[in-house]
Amino acid sequence: MSIMAYNGAAIMAMKGKNCVAIAADTRFGIQAQTVSTKFQKIFELGPRLYIGLAGLATDVQTVSERLKFRVNLYELRENRRVKPKTLLSVVSNLLYERRFGPYFVEPVIAGLDDVTSEPFVASLDLIGCPMVTEDFVVSGTCSEQMYGMCESVWSPDLDPDQLFEAISQALLNAADRDAVSGWGAVVHIIEKDKVTTRTLKARMD
Amino acid sequence: MATKAFAMSQKFCDLQSPMEPDFVSAQHLTGTTVMAVQFDGGVVIGADSRTTSGAYVANRVTDKLTRITDKIYCCRSGSAADTQAIADIVAYHLSVHQLEIGEEPLVKTAAKIFQDLCYTNRDQMSAGIICAGWDRKEGGQVYCIPLGGMCLRQPVTIGGSGSTYIYGYVDAIYKPNMAQNACLEFTKNAISLAIQRDGSSGGVVRLASITEAGIERQTILHNDLPKFSVI
Repeated sequence: MSIMAYNGAAIMAMKGKNCVAIAADTRFGIQAQTVSTKFQKIFELGPRLYIGLAGLATDVQTVSERLKFRVNLYELRENRRVKPKTLLSVVSNLLYERRFGPYFVEPVIAGLDDVTSEPFVASLDLIGCPMVTEDFVVSGTCSEQMYGMCESVWSPDLDPDQLFEAISQALLNAADRDAVSGWGAVVHIIEKDKVTTRTLKARMD
Repeated sequence: MATKAFAMSQKFCDLQSPMEPDFVSAQHLTGTTVMAVQFDGGVVIGADSRTTSGAYVANRVTDKLTRITDKIYCCRSGSAADTQAIADIVAYHLSVHQLEIGEEPLVKTAAKIFQDLCYTNRDQMSAGIICAGWDRKEGGQVYCIPLGGMCLRQPVTIGGSGSTYIYGYVDAIYKPNMAQNACLEFTKNAISLAIQRDGSSGGVVRLASITEAGIERQTILHNDLPKFSVI
């Protein structure tokens, strides 16, 4: 079995009107067996900046910890919060350092610029190739299913409530067609003045 | 659980184009949880409804409880193609046999034909089958025919990849001479537990009880399944 499919994951991020959303399933499994349904895959790196990590679970935890370390030092040196676009470069550097023995994670970044509040979504492959899009990004074992769902439900300039509906439906229905994703889901809606976190009632099969 | 045949066919799959996702060329497998319980007067059979192709859920509403005769059914696990082909052949033989003997065939006969096919072709196949039903001579019977092609009659049996998670539960809960409703509840709970843990099992739970009167089927949707949450 592919290393990227050993634990299974479904993560996506979408842009809306002055807001972004990031969502992930919460399954921790070992191949076909589900071990936990409360596994964290999205991590907060700033008040309005989140990163989701899909791939091998051990690397999800290690990369999030090492990244937090780098971001902490950045913020101490620069005396300001890291911008989403800059975080993209930090992650890219972290991953490419391991070009010939990579971390088996494919990150997804979602956030609002600290100063301008401009929405930002991006993703990277496991060796750090960055990709910035204007609509949505997906990552995980059911990426084909997620692409199909996102293309169908996303439209530009959705308000926070519409964006929540869109990303929830996209994630749940894509994960339901994947044997190693699902078993619970969490969604963060990031707006200028608040972040709303909701757990979705998902199929537990 | 991979048989030689499965391993051989996987080798051919390696010739696929590297750009192709897994599910385009992967075999259809019923990852599965299946179960059958005998009670006084008949049998209860149950299954999940997920068919996978790699990690892709190819069918989320599969019917794995396949009719052989009106009162003999089989629960299929393993390769979808293999088990469908075998079930068709067994159903054909039994329908001819029924005409020849002029009465309803015995469950034992169906199980024997399953065994013959599964054993003779054991090297090429990946099929785990439970044959269960009711006949006039012995009443309710359950026969399990796992991968190598042996045939064993048991009062309760489980099969498929999800069954590994419920051996303890089945051993703890099963008691001889359970009533029909208790058997239905038992089967529903067991399959729900397996679905919760096994990635290759999921969808709806299909239950059926086979008695002298025939078969009564039911489908239980995900929201109506019992919730056991420890994880």
